[in-house]
Parts: sequence; C-alpha cells; structure tokens
Amino acid sequence: MAEPVLEMRHVFKRFDMTQALDDVSLDIYPGEIHALVGENGAGKSTLIKIITGIYRPDLGELRLDDQPVTVNNSQEAQALGIAAIYQEPMIFPDLNVAENIFISHQDRGPVVRWGKMYRDAEDILSKLDVHLDVRMSARGLTLAAQQAVEIAKAISLNVRVLIMDEPTASLSAHEVTQLFQLVRSLRSQGVAILFIGHRLEEVLSIADRVTVLRDGKKISSRLREEVTPEQVIRDMVGRDVEDFFWKADTERGELLLSVRDLGRQNVFHDINFDVYRGEVLGFAGLIGSRRTDVGLALFGIEPADSGEIILEGTRRRIHSPGEALRLGIAYATEDRRQLGLNMTMSMVANVTLPTLTSYLNPLGLIRRRAEISTAEEFRERLSIRTPSVQADVERLSGGNQQKVMLSKWLNAGPKLLILDEPTRGIDVGAKAEVHEMISDLAARGLGVILISSDLPEVLAMSDRILVMREGRQMGIFEHTDATEERVMTAAMGQYAAEQEVGA
Amino acid sequence: MKFLIRRFQPEQIRELFLAVLIVLVVVFFSSQIPGYFNARFVNRISTSVVVVAILAVGQTLVFLTRNFDLSTGSIVGFTAYFLGQQLWHHPAIPPWAAVLIAIGVGTFMGSINGLLVAYGRVPSVIVTIATLAIYRSFLVEYSDAVPITTNNLPDWIVNLPPLSLFSVGDVEFRVIFGIMVLVVIVFQLILNYLPFGRRLYAIGSNPDAAQVAGFPAQRMVFTAFLLSGALAGLAGFIFLARFGNISVLAGIGLEFASIAAVVVGGVSNMGGSGTVFGAFLGALLIDLLENSLFRWQAISEFWRDAILGMLILLAVAIDFVVIGRLRKVWARAELEMSVEEAQEESEVAAHAG
Repeated sequence: MAEPVLEMRHVFKRFDMTQALDDVSLDIYPGEIHALVGENGAGKSTLIKIITGIYRPDLGELRLDDQPVTVNNSQEAQALGIAAIYQEPMIFPDLNVAENIFISHQDRGPVVRWGKMYRDAEDILSKLDVHLDVRMSARGLTLAAQQAVEIAKAISLNVRVLIMDEPTASLSAHEVTQLFQLVRSLRSQGVAILFIGHRLEEVLSIADRVTVLRDGKKISSRLREEVTPEQVIRDMVGRDVEDFFWKADTERGELLLSVRDLGRQNVFHDINFDVYRGEVLGFAGLIGSRRTDVGLALFGIEPADSGEIILEGTRRRIHSPGEALRLGIAYATEDRRQLGLNMTMSMVANVTLPTLTSYLNPLGLIRRRAEISTAEEFRERLSIRTPSVQADVERLSGGNQQKVMLSKWLNAGPKLLILDEPTRGIDVGAKAEVHEMISDLAARGLGVILISSDLPEVLAMSDRILVMREGRQMGIFEHTDATEERVMTAAMGQYAAEQEVGA
Repeated sequence: MKFLIRRFQPEQIRELFLAVLIVLVVVFFSSQIPGYFNARFVNRISTSVVVVAILAVGQTLVFLTRNFDLSTGSIVGFTAYFLGQQLWHHPAIPPWAAVLIAIGVGTFMGSINGLLVAYGRVPSVIVTIATLAIYRSFLVEYSDAVPITTNNLPDWIVNLPPLSLFSVGDVEFRVIFGIMVLVVIVFQLILNYLPFGRRLYAIGSNPDAAQVAGFPAQRMVFTAFLLSGALAGLAGFIFLARFGNISVLAGIGLEFASIAAVVVGGVSNMGGSGTVFGAFLGALLIDLLENSLFRWQAISEFWRDAILGMLILLAVAIDFVVIGRLRKVWARAELEMSVEEAQEESEVAAHAG
C-alpha cells in the first residue's frame, strides 16, 4: 500500500485530571477505511478534535504527506483537505442543496454564479450516485440525504482525509446501507476515511483497518481480516480493574419501584426492571443508548408515554419533577451546568432549592439559619471543600460542585435516588468519596439507580446491571455474572444477554 | 481580612462600592459648583429619584428572571392620566383609594405582559415593546388629547410631594420618599426571605435547573411581571402627584431610565444576580449625575445627555474592573485558606493515627 496521507506521531493531550490521549500514533492511508473504536471516554473525540484543529496536542505532531503540519482551526484543516462529518449533519435548512454543498467555498469569485454552482453540485452528486434535486431546500431532507450532502460538501473541498464521527447513529438500517455505499465509493476515489462507530457489526462490515483506543492509549491497530469481534471487545475493555471502591453488601429490602414496558416514542421502549430498597441498579450502555432518557422519564422531566411506573405498589404517572419529588424520587443529572446547579447561587441556596418550603417559619419567611445549618451538615458529611457555604458554587471545583448537587437531592430525603454519571469529570479522590456515599445510601435503605458510562464503576457499585443499547433493554445481569466483556458485548449489540428480565 | 473574606462575597461589596461612587460624585461636584451641596439639593434629589427608583425595583424582579420590562414608561403614563381623570371627575375619592386604583391599573397591565411572556412563551423584549406601544395608544385614545392640569386635581395630591414626615435641620424626609424607602425595603426582604424571591434568582441563574428543582417557574415569571406592573402603577400615582400636568407624553422614556438604574445598580441582564437595594443606588447615582450636570455651567446642555451616557458606561466599567479584581483577591485567599485547612486536617489525622 501507498504512503500514509496523515500520520499522528506520539500525541499526548491532557485535561485537568485526565490524560485524554497518551502517546497515540496513527497512520491513515489513502483509499482505506480506518475504523476507530473504544468505550466512551477512550479518547476518540479528543483525537478527532486534534486532527481537525479544535484542540492542539500537548506533545507530538501531525504529519500530512510526511510533512509536519499544525492545524489551528477547522478552516485550516479544510484547507489541508481534512474534513469531518458528525452524527448530526451541519446543514443550513434554509439554503438549498447546492448552496449547502458549496457553503465553505470562499474562492468561487465575488458573485454567485448560480448556473455553474448547480452544474457543479449535480456533477458531484452524480459522481456519488446520489439522486437529489440540487435546487431543493435542505429543510425536509432525510438524515441520510443530509449526510449525503455533507459528503458532497467534503468532496467539493477536494477532501483527502474524511473523518466520520458516528455518522450512522441516527440512521435506519436501509439508510446505513446507502451511506456505506457512499463511503465505499469515496474510498475507491482514494480518500482516506477515519470512521468512528459504536455498532461493532457495522464498523467491522466496512472497515479495512481497526484501531482500538482505551483510556487514551492505542491498544491495537490491525487489518480487518486479522481481528474477530471478540478480540476487539477484549481490547476495548481489557484493563485491570483499578482499585475501586466496591459496594458493601447490603440487604435487599422490600420492592420499591417496578417499571413495566416503559417507553417514549422514538426514544426508548419496553423497559422492564425492579428496584428494591437497599439496592443499587446499574445502567450501562454506550452513548446513544438512551439510559439518561429513562432517568429523565422517571423524574418527569421528559415523561414516558407508555408503560407503567409502580412505586411501592401504587401505579403512578409522573409528569413533572415536582410530582416526582413529592413521590420521593430524586434525580442527580449528568449535566451539572445545564440542569444540575444554579452556578451563580450559593451552596446554601442550591441545596435547599427543591425543598425550600420546608424551611419556612409560621409567617412564611425562609429560616436562613436552618438553611445554613443544613448546608453545613452536608459540607461536613460529604467533606465539601468550600471557603464558605455562602460562596457561589461557580467557584468550587468540579468534584465539590458534584457533591453540592448530591447534597441538594439527598436533602429532599428521597426513597429512590437516580444518579446520572455521578463521577464524570471529577478527580480520583472525589470519585472514591462519591462511591462510598452511594454504598452508604444503599445501606440506609435507599433504592439507587446508577447510570454510568464508566464500566468498572458500574460493575463495582451495582447489585444488578441493566444494559441498554439504542433505546432497547439488552438484558439485566446479576452482579455475580457481570463481566466487562459480557456487559460490553450486550451494549455493542453483538448478541442479547442471556438473562432477559422475566416480565 | 480572613474574617472579611469568609463573611462577605465580592458581589456583596458592589453596593458598598456604588455608595462610595455616589460620595465621590458629590465631592467632585462640590469642588466644581459653589454652594452645590445643601439641604435644598438633598430634598430635590430625594424627590426626583422616587419614580425611577420604584420602577427600578419592579425592573429588578423582572431582570432577575432573565427578562425585560420595556412597557413601564407607558404604564406610568397611562395610570397617571387615568387616575388624574378619575380625581378630576370624582374629587371625593380618598387618597388610599387613589393609590389602589393606580396599583390596580398597573397590576392589570403587568399581568398581561406576564401572561404573554410566562404562559405564551413570547420573548419579553417583543411582548413589552408591543405593550409599550399599545398602552401608550390607550392613553392617546382615552385622553382624547385633553391634558390633565394641576387645577383639575384635588388639593391633597397637588400638595403631596413637598409634604414631609419629619425633617432634620432643613433636610426633609418627604412622604413620597418614604413610600419609596418602604418599597425598597419590602422588596429587598421579599427577595431575601420568601421562597418567591429565592426562586426568581434560581430561574434567572439557570432556568433548566429551576424546572428540575420542581417549582412552578412559569407562575414566578408571571408574578414578576405583575409586580413590575403594580409598581409602575404606584410610580404613576407619584408621577401624577409630582407633575400634576399630564399629557399623552407622560412617562415616555422612563422604561429606559429604570433599566439604566438597574444595570448601573449591578443587576445582571443575564438574570440571577443583583439586589433591589443595588438598583435603588443605581437610580440614585444616575439621578444625582443628571441633576449635577444640569447645574454645572461648564457643560453645555447639548452635551449633557452624552456625558451622562458616558458616565454611566464609566460607572459600569469601573464596577466590572473592581468586582473582577475582588473576585481574584477572594479566590487567592480562599485557595490559601483551603490549603491551610487541609494541612491542619492532615496534622490532626497524623496525631489521631
């Protein structure tokens, strides 16, 4: 095979506490589809962002045609012939197909020559064997057609390296087939393609070469013929289990929550599980598995539209967070900044916000002393580092903000606590403290649902593990039979777990 | 210093800073204008600041929720005219009823804004620009271009503005200033001690998190607009008392004056931070500058507005720089303190172990 068009040499990239990329080298050849796989947080996005100039590497270099290059932004990347297509196509719905294809061109003269633009657009599309009216407005194109427009756009830029970041995530099976035809025809034109995907069958069906990343390191890079799906999965998860805090054995109490055939149209469906008091039910799955949406439904932020939620033997409909809170359900979101905290408010105000009405004196005024003492209690109990409980939470570190958010929901005295990515983006010490807290809560008889992308965390902390993939429940594993391989296999949809829940 | 840093937050010093700025302005103009600072001047300012300060209180509530109320100028104009006409035709209306009428009209107009913003989900800028024009047209239509004059009004209202509760030397504490002080205090307490107040901050600082916290955010936004309207109604009453002559142009531009006061007073236009007291100080600073520039012969009247605008920009810029600096000082001190604490803790642990 020819020389690589793009090389990454010993690239390192660090964000605060995490080494996102750790000595990664990669060769991308023209006319080859190079698949990049790995768990969430393995470093795939960082890698793409370095190639497209959104991030700069701390160390290491990028070489194009054996010449070192620095890419400072995506315009420069485009000028070098590097383009990226994302899961959600970047389409301008009010412009027509041809305008979308040529949107990035600055060198087509001072005035728009419409006739030429339409002819050129048609040329490109016909080269791809795509049949689209170039005069049609992009609004209303199917996702697959939008992807085709994106690919046409890349070709119009004489792209040499095309990065496709989970382009199939929102496509139907038929659309995926169409997309893959396009990708193959690009390959035959000599374009190098870096393909990121979560569905292993799909990835393996199109790739010429498969590279596995794990924890920021390149684990393997092999030709497609030389690997089996089992090998790839082992490479993805096969790390030593770090010395994790393991959940203490707790006694399983009475049945707290039963969920039957829960669904929300086009999001998830047929979800069935039980949560007992004193138990941690883990939710595992990759990005797009819709685990979080189940949490949002249980807390009434985006209510389910079918199925049943039975809380302590009574069937409940939950339409708003207020209702969920009254029923004793709390949900600590994965999205601290967006949904979790009021950054410009103090820790006190944040902690008491959902339960403010329990802090009123007979005149209906807030008892500020009582609020402050609650906040001080949590500060002590979760060892939250803050100069003062009156300081804005904006000024706390990520780990401490996380603990403030947990305090807020614990203070609501829930029976069922849903924790969505409770340790994302916090340092190791804080992580261990959060794990200890979860174990402690279960010991006190709370039911806990732990949604996490961190597979070892789910394995260490859960009594049972529910695995989801693209809105479907793939199975529930008992803690004792769950291994990283089995959970990951289910999450990647290789085959359903044996132990489907008996409904 | 440690105590100070633990006890206060930089944002709380903002009001102190505004107060200092006000003193500096007074000192500067005293050196420029002979006989500048005297009891008469204090009385004049304390009377002229009232209307804008009351509007600024209402505007603060709306600002806290990340919204604007641009309609207040028209609400003031309309209520002032409407009330004036009622008093003209029914001079027997007692003062308390007059106040209630004004507040009632304002509340009605504010609640329309609130309905459209909170429940209709129309951006507040659009809603209140529309109602600014609509309420003004009501006034034009309703008044038939017949102005109210002092002669048409009962004596009690014409004599209200100079009426004072008590005086210290020649400095008077006038009734209308007292009303304003009461409004500022009551609303500052509401923000500090009622769940409603806390939730306004929560909505403005993060609307999504507010929704997740499980309280009726829409109703809070509605209420903020309703109260802004009610306060504009009250301001309309005082406007009528103070000026007596009300034409269709009454109160034009007051919405911008109130927004200027609120912004200078440190209420964030992104919602979620600021105080009623700060807004009052903002109103006071602007009013003081206006009155002082008016008396300063060195500046031609054509330049007065431009200079006022520049001074407002300057005040906000200085505020920004000072608060930014303070934040840094605080952050550094806190870091040092937390390191010290960690050391102490580890020492204690070492002893224990």
